[in-house]
Amino acid sequence: MNFVPLALYAVALVAYVWHFVNRDAAVGRGATTLLVFAALAHTFVIGMQTVQYGHVPVAGPTSAISTFVWLLALAYLYTEMTTDERAMGVFILPLLVALQLIPALHPGVEPQLPVLQSPLFGVHVSALLLAYASFALACVIGVTYVLLFKEIKAKHLGIFYARLPSLQVLDRMNQQAIVIGWLFLTVGMIVGAVWTPQARAYAPGIPQLQAMSLRDPKIFVALVCWTIYSFELFAARRIGWGGRRAAYLSAVGFAIVLLNFVPISYFVDNSHKF
Amino acid sequence: MHLLLVGISHKTAPVELRERLDFQVRGVDRALQTLATRGSTREAVVLSTCNRAELYVACDDLPATRADMVTFLSEFNGVDRSVVAPHLYDVSDLDAARHLFRVAAGLDSLVVGEPQVFGQVKEAHTIAGEAHTAGPVLNRLFHASFAVGKRVRTETGLGSGAVSISYAAVALARKIFGDLGGRSVVVVGAGEMGKLTARHMKSQGVQHVTIVSRTMAHAARTADAIGGAAASPWEDLDSVLGASDIVITATGASAPILTKARIETIMRPRRNRPLFIIDIAVPRDVEPAASEIEQVFLYNIDDLQTTVRENLARRASEVARAEAIVAEELERFGGWLRSRGAIPTVVALRQHCENIRRAELSRLDYKLASVPQARALVDEITHLIIEKLLLTPTERLKSLGDTETVGAYAEALTRLFGLGERADDDTDARAPSSERLDGRVEPFTRIKQRGPR
Repeated sequence: MNFVPLALYAVALVAYVWHFVNRDAAVGRGATTLLVFAALAHTFVIGMQTVQYGHVPVAGPTSAISTFVWLLALAYLYTEMTTDERAMGVFILPLLVALQLIPALHPGVEPQLPVLQSPLFGVHVSALLLAYASFALACVIGVTYVLLFKEIKAKHLGIFYARLPSLQVLDRMNQQAIVIGWLFLTVGMIVGAVWTPQARAYAPGIPQLQAMSLRDPKIFVALVCWTIYSFELFAARRIGWGGRRAAYLSAVGFAIVLLNFVPISYFVDNSHKF
Repeated sequence: MHLLLVGISHKTAPVELRERLDFQVRGVDRALQTLATRGSTREAVVLSTCNRAELYVACDDLPATRADMVTFLSEFNGVDRSVVAPHLYDVSDLDAARHLFRVAAGLDSLVVGEPQVFGQVKEAHTIAGEAHTAGPVLNRLFHASFAVGKRVRTETGLGSGAVSISYAAVALARKIFGDLGGRSVVVVGAGEMGKLTARHMKSQGVQHVTIVSRTMAHAARTADAIGGAAASPWEDLDSVLGASDIVITATGASAPILTKARIETIMRPRRNRPLFIIDIAVPRDVEPAASEIEQVFLYNIDDLQTTVRENLARRASEVARAEAIVAEELERFGGWLRSRGAIPTVVALRQHCENIRRAELSRLDYKLASVPQARALVDEITHLIIEKLLLTPTERLKSLGDTETVGAYAEALTRLFGLGERADDDTDARAPSSERLDGRVEPFTRIKQRGPR
């Protein structure tokens, strides 16, 4: 069922690329419309899964990725509508298509253990997914900032100069995305830490819960991310690390988020699997 | 009906002559009225800018109108005919339309792709509309040219990119800072170049302009000349620079004033605020190595000139796409113009029907004389029947694409209804009524009101 949104994301990607190359306003509007339809189809898929399985599909890695893609699409659409800038779509859409491939190739929703039905678990996962979507946006904005920065510095005004908003706007958007992401990340991690002892008491027979500690790769990497983004926020305000350095940090931060999200979830043995 | 264009432009005439043929001096509306009274044209629009003076007219007799236009141009502007004539160009019908489309697109401009001419074409049409000298043909022509202008602007890069130094500087500042509203500019040096660029920045929304010069009096005088600018003494240069976003250096100093080390000191308390330095002095006022500092964007006059050249080259590469749009819209307009070839046939057909109706009505006259209401009713009904019968054939004729088909249909209609001989006879026999008809039967505009669209 995840194939329909995937196909629509792919078609929207083509439209965004077309728009980026030819700067045709009508194609740009068409691209946005396609993305809206893709997000709607994705909403429908997630809604159907929720009805079918009786819970929002976020527990397993595959369904979490699907929900993440959906949130990122919505977050991007929100940014596009509020800023009226479409040039970033050409960087976001490939990410959406690549990640959506995973749920499309792994159909179905992982079964959810009864212990995960706690509302705290819901807050934990949705806060983290929102944080990751914000970081993805920040990363893309950061990448475009660096591309534009380099063109202006090198005095070679080309592709990005003609299409991207100004450096100052990109810098501000990046900061906003990082602040929002950092808030959700912090909330998600605190809720996770509060909920773990409760869950242990509730379901003593689950080995993963008992073994959960800071040495678990997934938790460890999440802490690394938190440290990086906290530093970025601090550096931007206290030591003037905005602009290009902030952009690089956003890219590094999201690379680690992605590492945590895909390879660690699937290939590394950890206590965070349910 | 033919389209005719007679005019001069920067391509055919020197500025001295263009100045003398500037219709804006004596008033475009007056020129239009004078043109209308001459009687050689049916419709007229005068396009007068500093780079061109062009008369777009619709007429019946091309050679006669052409000669009359040359006379008008020289008489109205008080320039001898022999002076004007060698610089004039004239083109007719679709070539005239193509010329206007290229003008509206900015393809015929001195700086290819400049946007002002589009507004001037629009204004020329508005003035002609107010003077009632633009009719169906020129209205259609000018609206088509607006479509060309809009499409070229949105679909090609013909008008994109700054093509002058000060525009290039402003465009760059916009790409770094976004909105220039709350930004402050410092001009170092009280020279002419710096003043010009600062004035341009101010017109683009920059709020604070400060002039710093070695002589305070010079700085104050330049600040006054710009208007709303402040002057600061030379000793305060570092603190002024620390508070600014854009710096324009244009002094006559022989050695760099702003070294890399000095800018580094200025940048430290600014943390991460970008500083855009435009060095338009020759020799340069800013050490080139300063551009290595993070968040310092340094452009000198050569860099700006390079971007201007690149933009001009990019515009040149967009010309082919713009020409394709011109060709496309010309094709569409040509189709419409050709369909107007059917007008004489339509007029003749309608006249033929109207004559029959009148003849039959006059035969009934004595029977209906006693009941005037019935007479009016019959008149109205017969009129309506004719209108309805002729609606479809008129619409069909109008939508025909090429000249040959129009000719064939016109031929068929003429033969089937015997239009040629009868119409002529009638015109001769009933001159007053046909004159009235001529005025009334404007087949397309009339039918349009009753047609589906």
